[in-house]
Amino acid sequence: MKVQIPIGPQHPALKEPIGLRMTVEGEVIHDADLRLGYNHRGVEKVAEGRSYIQNLYLTERICGICSHSHSTTFAQGAEILFEIVPPKRGQFLRYLVSELERVHSHLLWLGVAGHEAGFDSFFMYVWRDREIVMDILEMISGNRVHYAINTIGGVRRDIDEAQRTKILDLLAVLRARTSFYLNLGTTEPSFVGRLAGVGYLSKEDAMSLCAVGPTARASNVPRDVRKDDPYGIYDEVPFEVCTADTCDVLGRTVVRIKEVLQSYDIMEYLLRNLPAGPVAVKAPRRPKPGEIVSRYEAPRGENIHYIKSNGTDKPERLKVRAPTLGNYAATIAMLKKGFIADIPLIFAAIDPCICCAERSVELVDSRSGRPSVVRWSELRRMAGRRAARDSKKRNVEWPL
Amino acid sequence: MRIGAFIPELLRHLFKKPATVDYPFKKLSPPEGFRGTPYLHPETCIVCRACERDCPAEAIEIVELSAAEKRFRLTIHNDRCIHCAQCVDSCPTDAMRMDDKYEIAAFSRWDLKAAWEYVRAVVKPKAPAPAPAAPAPSANPPSDNG
Ligand code: SF4
Ligand code: SF4
Repeated sequence: MKVQIPIGPQHPALKEPIGLRMTVEGEVIHDADLRLGYNHRGVEKVAEGRSYIQNLYLTERICGICSHSHSTTFAQGAEILFEIVPPKRGQFLRYLVSELERVHSHLLWLGVAGHEAGFDSFFMYVWRDREIVMDILEMISGNRVHYAINTIGGVRRDIDEAQRTKILDLLAVLRARTSFYLNLGTTEPSFVGRLAGVGYLSKEDAMSLCAVGPTARASNVPRDVRKDDPYGIYDEVPFEVCTADTCDVLGRTVVRIKEVLQSYDIMEYLLRNLPAGPVAVKAPRRPKPGEIVSRYEAPRGENIHYIKSNGTDKPERLKVRAPTLGNYAATIAMLKKGFIADIPLIFAAIDPCICCAERSVELVDSRSGRPSVVRWSELRRMAGRRAARDSKKRNVEWPL
Repeated sequence: MRIGAFIPELLRHLFKKPATVDYPFKKLSPPEGFRGTPYLHPETCIVCRACERDCPAEAIEIVELSAAEKRFRLTIHNDRCIHCAQCVDSCPTDAMRMDDKYEIAAFSRWDLKAAWEYVRAVVKPKAPAPAPAAPAPSANPPSDNG
């Protein structure tokens, strides 16, 4: 018997309302359908009516977690249109904040993954450590979420020597804690068993469906804008693109833990080699007419902004492609042949910030058309029961 | 492979003090440079309207009350303000500043508006960032309202 399950679209706490309709047979998902466009905020249209400097703060509010990613992508593009180059120190600080943001986003994700897998103590510990990153960000920029550190032509705030040493000290603490989580996998088989094999996305699918970010890298596609098309200072900073070949949620976890450690290396490099000098150059109010595409590796994947200037102080057109959009097609492929109970985990694994807010699922019997609602907590209990039954994953090894 | 490797860590933390503080009985102080709420120093505002122009939330409103007296009213609509501090950066005379208050919720949006009525100041704008600020008051145009 085939049953359709709609999830979403609207939920008060959802950042990105999304309509998911799944056809299931028993517990197995046969088909998934994604409906977008429930949260059209008109950001691109608003951007046409604001000056470049105002748009910096507008683009920052496209996302609540990777706020710096969007404002940096916009600033990078605008700086090319304005024909200015930010000073070295400004660039180092800008990408320092980028990496801090990546760390806080990945730690947030790890916590959510722990929560969805039923490992709540892991969730609490990771989030406690994430506070350190938030404190560093607040110290540098004056705010925890919307750092507003970018300006066109550099960054708005400098750091002093005391702050620099303090950040380095805190990074050492963070590195020690992250190493603890890295080793945790080898000794916590239930966690690994829960993640392994869930949400399979083959390398070919990841390529053909244009997956981005950690989702693609976990399917062994070494795609990272920082390496493929280096922007800012990334051509001089040594780092590695982290991949995994398990193609499942376990791989996505591994990629993110490895990336966090890479980010610590990048940040330490940036802080130890921080050049002296100004942090920003003054930007004119009007750019030359022209158009530009700016790319940036956000924590969730490649972020693209297209800006068209007509010579006035406002852009004629701004187009934003956020990374989660790039991953939706791949999500459908992951959901197919999965279990209903794995929906939270699979969805959480592309890091769309939708899962943590979703609390109930409606099951519609396709014959009688009678809907039945399953609470999110019941879904998680189902997941736990299924994982307990599943013995073949007992011997999965932590790949790190 | 050990089962429950996290348990010793959890037990150890039973005897540590909590990672959180008892808000609202105990409060953490925000760091230096925290972006709280903008406020105006009317003594130095030259009504250049840079803050009004650059505010991304259109939260600053400047109206002229009397052209002859050069009286103006600047309203900060804190219900719209996104605490970005762009007005502070844009202001050439340091008239716009940020405090460090973070408990700024109110029951009505009208309680959040702050307004100042003042006579336009005559101050030489501070020099652009790289050059050292060296104000030369004699260069100011003469003014009739002090
Ligand atoms: S802090 Fe930002 S939003 Fe608030 S008044 Fe100043 S410029 Fe406007
Ligand atoms: S507060 Fe500053 S920026 Fe705003 S009008 Fe007055 S002098 Fe100009």
